[in-house]
Amino acid sequence: MDKLATQLKADAAEIDVEVSDELDYRIRASLNSVSQEPARPAAVRRRPAIFWFASSLTGIAAAAAIITILNVRTGDDMTPQATPDATPVAMSTSPIIELKTESAMLTAPLQQELEHLQSDIRKAEKKVREDIGL
Amino acid sequence: MSDASQQQLVAAAQAGSVDAFTDLVRAFRVRLLRFLLTRCNSYADAEDALQDTLIAAYRYLHSYDSRWRFSTWLYRIAIRNAHKNRCENVVDIGDLGDEESDPLQQCIAASETQNLWISARRVLNDEVFAATWLRYAEDMSINDIAMALDRSQSWTKVNLLRARQALDTEMNRQPNGEKVYG
Repeated sequence: MDKLATQLKADAAEIDVEVSDELDYRIRASLNSVSQEPARPAAVRRRPAIFWFASSLTGIAAAAAIITILNVRTGDDMTPQATPDATPVAMSTSPIIELKTESAMLTAPLQQELEHLQSDIRKAEKKVREDIGL
Repeated sequence: MSDASQQQLVAAAQAGSVDAFTDLVRAFRVRLLRFLLTRCNSYADAEDALQDTLIAAYRYLHSYDSRWRFSTWLYRIAIRNAHKNRCENVVDIGDLGDEESDPLQQCIAASETQNLWISARRVLNDEVFAATWLRYAEDMSINDIAMALDRSQSWTKVNLLRARQALDTEMNRQPNGEKVYG
């Protein structure tokens, strides 16, 4: 036990108290006059029969009211509901890009033209990469 | 008192024997009164709190769970009663600075040295004071203290450590170059 614990224990013992005869008598008299609370069993509350009858009646009335309301509303409301706009969201929100196109002037056989076009694409791609610093 | 004889007394008291209950709590009365004295505004209040504690323990003895130590259960009731007593009597314990009005001061007046529990009452709040008391005056385990205070073990450990630090500082404080405690 360390110094603090020893000191605290010693100081607690220094507190000089005693249970006087009068207090002892008072406590004993009080104990004789009170009765113990009985141990409470797990409470299972039985509800009266009228409770179940009233609950059933309320449930049936509520179900009948809902069925009636649904039937009345189905009869009245025969107009078709408006269909939502069929325009795709992406088309309506994204800006329209104007493409500048021009027709190719074919001056060589198709295979050769294709190679030239692919070469042009590669050059353009290289230039773009240089421009953006990749 | 051995655990077996304690359990026998608990069983007899639960059956309604006031004598068995009186024997059961006899060993705890002075210790409880000492603890309650540190929490109450007067000696009479501490006696009333002890009486209330023992009556409440007797009344609700059927709710005592034998997995608890009996002293832990009793202290739990005592702590509640002390708190209730403090709430009903609006005098703040911090206002009881002079020896004439402070019951704790009166009960240690015979001692020639300062009592560390007076400092503890000043620097610790109610719950931490109770935890410290149960630990050092009653040698209770952390688990029992946590149960008595209805707190977690972590809370109990942390606050006991803080209380130790605060009390260490108090104990080692040396005004005018002289040692105060011990």
